[in-house]
Order: sequence, then C-alpha cells, then structure tokens
Amino acid sequence: MINKLKRYEKIEFLGEGQFATVYKAKDIETDNIVAVKKIKIGSRQEAQDGINRTALREIKLLQELHHKNLIGLLDVFGHMSNVSLVFDFMDTDLEVIIKDNTIILTTANIKSYILQTIQGLEYLHLNWMLHRDLKPNNLLVNAAGVLKIGDFGLAKLFGSPNRINTHQVVTRWYRAPELLFGAKQYSTCIDMWAVGCILAELLLRVPLFPGESDLDQLTKIFSVFGNPTEENWPGLKSLSDFIEFKPFTPIPLKNIFTAAGDDLLDLLEGLLVLNPIKRKECTECLQMPFFSNKPAPTLGTKLPLPQNIRKTKEEKPSLKRKLLDSAEGGTLSKRLFF
Amino acid sequence: MKDVIDVMELQNTKQRRNPLLDYKKLDFNKGFTPARFIFECGIKLHGQPLTLATASILMHRFFKEVDPSQYDPFLIAASSLYLAGKVKDDPLKIRDIINVAHNTLHRGSSPLEIGEEYWNMRDAIVQAELLIMRVLKFEVSISHPHKYMLHYLKSLEGWLEKEQWYNLPIAKVSAAFLQDFHHDPSILEYTPQHIAICCISLALQFYGVQLPLIEDGDDESWFTVFVKDLQKDQHWEIMEKIMDVYNVEPETS
Repeated sequence: MINKLKRYEKIEFLGEGQFATVYKAKDIETDNIVAVKKIKIGSRQEAQDGINRTALREIKLLQELHHKNLIGLLDVFGHMSNVSLVFDFMDTDLEVIIKDNTIILTTANIKSYILQTIQGLEYLHLNWMLHRDLKPNNLLVNAAGVLKIGDFGLAKLFGSPNRINTHQVVTRWYRAPELLFGAKQYSTCIDMWAVGCILAELLLRVPLFPGESDLDQLTKIFSVFGNPTEENWPGLKSLSDFIEFKPFTPIPLKNIFTAAGDDLLDLLEGLLVLNPIKRKECTECLQMPFFSNKPAPTLGTKLPLPQNIRKTKEEKPSLKRKLLDSAEGGTLSKRLFF
Repeated sequence: MKDVIDVMELQNTKQRRNPLLDYKKLDFNKGFTPARFIFECGIKLHGQPLTLATASILMHRFFKEVDPSQYDPFLIAASSLYLAGKVKDDPLKIRDIINVAHNTLHRGSSPLEIGEEYWNMRDAIVQAELLIMRVLKFEVSISHPHKYMLHYLKSLEGWLEKEQWYNLPIAKVSAAFLQDFHHDPSILEYTPQHIAICCISLALQFYGVQLPLIEDGDDESWFTVFVKDLQKDQHWEIMEKIMDVYNVEPETS
C-alpha cells in the first residue's frame, strides 16, 4: 500500500469538496498525469459511517465502465483510514469554457462537445445506468479536446420495475420537469433534459433556466414551452408534487436562439420536451441531421481552450511539434479548408 | 462422479425447522460459515435478498484471502452486511446492524446502551468495512446468479406443462437452493449462469420433473439452450455441492 502512495507523486492541490480533496499527481510508473481524489472519512469524534456512499458508487460503477467519453477510474487504493481514487487528469470543464469570454463557440465546436457528451451518455444508458447529475461543470475536457463525463457520485442503475428513486437529484437548473413535480420513477429522459439544457447553455453562454427555487424553475421552463396539459403529457396530474401554474404562452425556440440553425433547433426541440416519454434518446439524437450536416464537429485538437491552459500549452512550443510541422509541410501540401 | 443425485436422501431428511442457533458455541472450522449469521441478521433488518447474497459473497471472498482464524467471524459478517447495503443501494443503518447483531449473538439481551461498548463496535465495523474493501481490492460489484435464474425460469414456464408448473413450486425451490448455496464458499468457484442452472436442475430432479420434447443425451441436456459451456460432470459437481450445504448444518441441542 505504501508503494501506491509513492506511485502517485503530488504535483499540486486542485480543489476541495464536501467529501474529498483532489490533487494533480504524476504516476511515476507510467509518467502519466492523473487526478487523485482523496475521500475524507469522518474523524473518530464524528458519527462514523464508514466509506462514503458517493465514493463507493463511483468505485463500483466506474470499475465496470470504459468509454472514451467517460472519466476513467485508473486505480483505487487505501492508505491508513483513507481511500483514494485515481482518475484521468482533465484540464478543464465545460462550465469554464462556457464562461470564458475569449473563447468563441462556433457551431462546429458546439457540435463536437455535444456529440461527445451524447456518445458517452449513450454508452452509459446502454449499460442501464443513469448519471443523474449532468451539468457543464461535470463535463470534463482535456487539452486534447476530449470531453469526458465525470462525477458519478449520483449515478445509479435503472430498470428495476418497482424501484423507488429520489427526485432530489440533478442540480436544479438542469432538472427535468417530472423531477420537479416529484416523480419517483424515472428513466434516461432525466439525463436527456439535462443535455438539452447544456446544449442551450453552449449557445446562450448563460444557463437557460437559472431557477432560484423549484417553483421558479418550473415557472422559467413553462414561460418558454407553455404549460403542460394532460393531452400532451398524460399522467401529469398524478405526479405527487403537481400544481397548476398560471398560463404561459409558448415562445418559439427560434426567437431565443436567433443564431442557431434549423438542424440544431430540431435537436434542441427533441431534447427539451416537457413529456419525458416524448423526449429523444441518445441513439435517436445521434441519428439526427444536425450531426451529419455541415459543419463537421471540430477535431479535438482544434477545439478552443480556456486562457490559462492555452498559456501553459504555448509556453513550451515543443521541438517535437515544430519538427512535425516542418515534416508535414515538406511532404504534404497543407489541407485546404472550404 | 455419481450417476444419480440422491434426492431421496434430501427428501427424507427430518422435517426442517429453523432452530435458533447459539452462534457463540459454533465451530467455524468444520465447514459451517458465518453466512447463517448474515442471513439471520439480514432478514431481521429487512434487507433485500440480493443485499444478503452480496454480503455473504463479500464475506466468503474476504475469508478466502486471509487467515480466517485472525478475524472475528461475526464482526466480518456485520461489516459485510453494512457494506453490502451500500453496494446495493439498500442502506442498512449501522445502529440497527449493531443492535440486531448483538441481540442475535446474545439472545434475549436488551439493546446495547449508547456507551463505550457501542462506540467500540461501531468503530470496529467501520474499520472492518475498509479492511474488506482493501482486501478485495475495491472490487465489490458482484454478478449474481439470480437474474439468470429468473430468465431461465421464465423460459421454463412455457416449456413445462402448465399443470406441472402451477402445481409444483419449481421456482420457489430453485430460489431456496440458490439462497442456501450462499452458505458455502464454493459458490465463488462457479459462474453465476452455471449456479442458476444447477439450482433449477436440482429442483427439477427433486420433483422428478422431466422436460418434454427433449431427451437427455450425452452431449445434450435441457440446459444446453441456456448455457453452452456447462459440462455434465461439472453440472453434477455443483448440484452435489449445493446438497452438501445441508450436511454441514450444525446439530442444535
């Protein structure tokens, strides 16, 4: 166990959450940069509950999941009364990218991010797993432009017919209307709603529905889509927390997302459907014209990076890169862009 | 390898009741495992069957890796239950586990006062939980035979004659064999699919049910439609192991 502790050489402190501290570290066996998440275990004085359930979920689920768009759990080790999880190191996340005003998010960039998100999520859903906490902050991006879904602390298996789930999941702004109405049985549709909100946020650069309370959240949603009815959402009124809202007139999405193309709006409309049954699944989304139409999604290496990461990258214009460039220039003509 | 499973013996054994065991007097060296303690406590705690199965598998896997004489079987059993509750999202409260375990070991005693002894136990369970996780290299997801059994039984429902299916408790008995097999560490040696088949097979034998439209040949059995890689001799071996579980049950005074 001591070996494990030495294997990951601490580089810098990255952050601290409620249950864990995260460090950037170097794996001295492979020379890879990794993120080590050290789970806090309650001190003796506190009520001891042993290993944190959130951490256990991450360990249990991520050990079985392997996809290029899901964060990889590389190792788990224990030292003293601590448990540490070793993850792929990710430079930034979508929240930082969205908030960075120096970054321009073109349709091709947005397509790349959302494509990677849906591909990772499709794999997750095909393995009967819900993420239950999708938001820009949990969509991690590395310097090579690869997006990986992270934070599986709320993830859960779905599909057991009589399983009761809590509706207190997903950060409010990305929470689907059925959850806000208190649905206890739900499925992949709650993740799809969150993807819709994220796509909208990539376009607007601010959250689409920044509700201040659960009721305000629903008000903001209905002020765009209009009120749901028993006709377009059968069973709506039997949800435990259902209440009637004052009537709203729906606004066409075209008026909110003035710069978005029709194919993008189609995708958005497929995701942000009030009735969860009518919401599109990952596989359906991937077959929509938006993903096959031009422009093609930006290649990972061409995706914009936030300033701080861009800087560190430029600081060391490696010799290798220059050599490659000249080699390319020498033998191949530069690719043409239309 | 025997050619016949002695189902008569199984049928003739004395009427079984669930005697209250005095666990402290048990000798765990003779093949009897703390699984019984896990199941008794787990049922009292209203744990889901899969949670209890998980707990017993975690316990067997732990004792496979360590020298069993070095650890208190009841502490490991209680910790396995606690961990299984978390693994299966079927949370069991640590205080309930302590009270139930304490009362099961010291039958008739009053609940533990919140005091030094209680806090020590709590501390021990939490420490043991982490120890189990580390010994098992944090691999705590378990693939259970239950789901396979469910699908196989569902197919058999249409294969057997209606009358037989409804008059004989094949499904119930198969499930009972499966749960009881969790008392034996040899459950770790076989795939979940094979275990599910053998529990069903044993139940079919027990009631003398012959599946219609198929003849058991040398290279084909009823289960070949479900699993391709279960050899006949292994099939017998597993069934015998399941039956052996009932032989290590301690005599109660």
